[in-house]
Amino acid sequence: MMNEKRRWSDDVGSIDFVQLIVGLLIVGIACVGTFQALQFGNDQLNQQMRYRRALSEARSCVEYWQGRIHTDTPNNLEMNGNLSSPNGSNNDVLIDEGDPDNPNDDVIGYVRYGPIVPIPNAELGKDKRGQTLISHYVIRTRVTWWDPGQSHAERPHEVKFQGAMVPAAL
Amino acid sequence: MKVFRGRGGRDDGWTFIEATIAVVIMAIMVLGLTIVLLAFREQLDRSWAVRVMDQYGNNVMEEVTHDLRNATDVSVRSGGGNTSRIDIQYLDPIRHKEILTSRYRADMRNVRIEKDGRALDPTFPPRNLGRGESYEILQFTLAPYGTDTPNRWQREDSFRRKAAFIDAAWELRFKLRYNRKAINPGERNWDVTKEYYNRIYVRNRNLVVHKGITE
Repeated sequence: MMNEKRRWSDDVGSIDFVQLIVGLLIVGIACVGTFQALQFGNDQLNQQMRYRRALSEARSCVEYWQGRIHTDTPNNLEMNGNLSSPNGSNNDVLIDEGDPDNPNDDVIGYVRYGPIVPIPNAELGKDKRGQTLISHYVIRTRVTWWDPGQSHAERPHEVKFQGAMVPAAL
Repeated sequence: MKVFRGRGGRDDGWTFIEATIAVVIMAIMVLGLTIVLLAFREQLDRSWAVRVMDQYGNNVMEEVTHDLRNATDVSVRSGGGNTSRIDIQYLDPIRHKEILTSRYRADMRNVRIEKDGRALDPTFPPRNLGRGESYEILQFTLAPYGTDTPNRWQREDSFRRKAAFIDAAWELRFKLRYNRKAINPGERNWDVTKEYYNRIYVRNRNLVVHKGITE
């Protein structure tokens, strides 16, 4: 114990080479960890921006069909939805442009809508053909996209949106 | 350990070689850290500026879209540049007895969207922008469905639709740009453009909505 105390009292208080290297290593590792965490946070914020844009596209698609159902009833083919139509069709939208000089980093959203489902309501009565009148239609849309750097073999990100509309008033 | 301690005594201090190696390593690490920190700060500033712009873009879109969803009528005039002056009429939401009007326009000089003559969001653009930083409104338009769209199918589709649909389906586009001009030698100009888009079906246009009656 006394020897130990003497050793401490003899210590001049400076750090030696090994301590310095260990200290630098710790600082270096902490820096790398911090940068990685911040990079992750930044990526998450970018992903949220794409998510919001995809949500806005999904909602816009619902608005289109709400307008159609309200004013200009869709035909049977349109009522079936376009879930099975291939990517690259007319409903693909630009979700995130990325670098304007590089067209390869654009994020494309694939907007699809499911079958438009009529919801009958017996309380409304029946039409001339004896069928229960429709109270409203349910519209479901879906937007999928792959983030930059994400393989198309992976499952894409997805936003779903649902809306409803009363039948044609005009 | 003995290698670095020379003769092995605790109070001998560092040898010249140890000190030189330590100084070189420290210098390399400090230089590397400084470069990384400067680059990191630049990225952080850019990221913050883009988030602020994105938040503002979403705020504006939500505000105008909300008013349009409740609108009974809409009128659009040119507002100079690629912008519109948008007048949105709606029934007062509490008593349904008055028609109120919200007026939107883009103030290109002050880079802000005004609602009834007042800034929609007084915190934008931020006051603490650095040298060379600026925001720009590139577009603020409200157009009938299919008339202002890059999508060819939508343009063609708009010709097939009934007037009642075209009169009530609107497309709101808001495009903002953040510029970061090069200040120091070796820097490059940098900018980001974000476009916000909403399609709105103004359902009240095709409903019987009068003062005092909402059907």
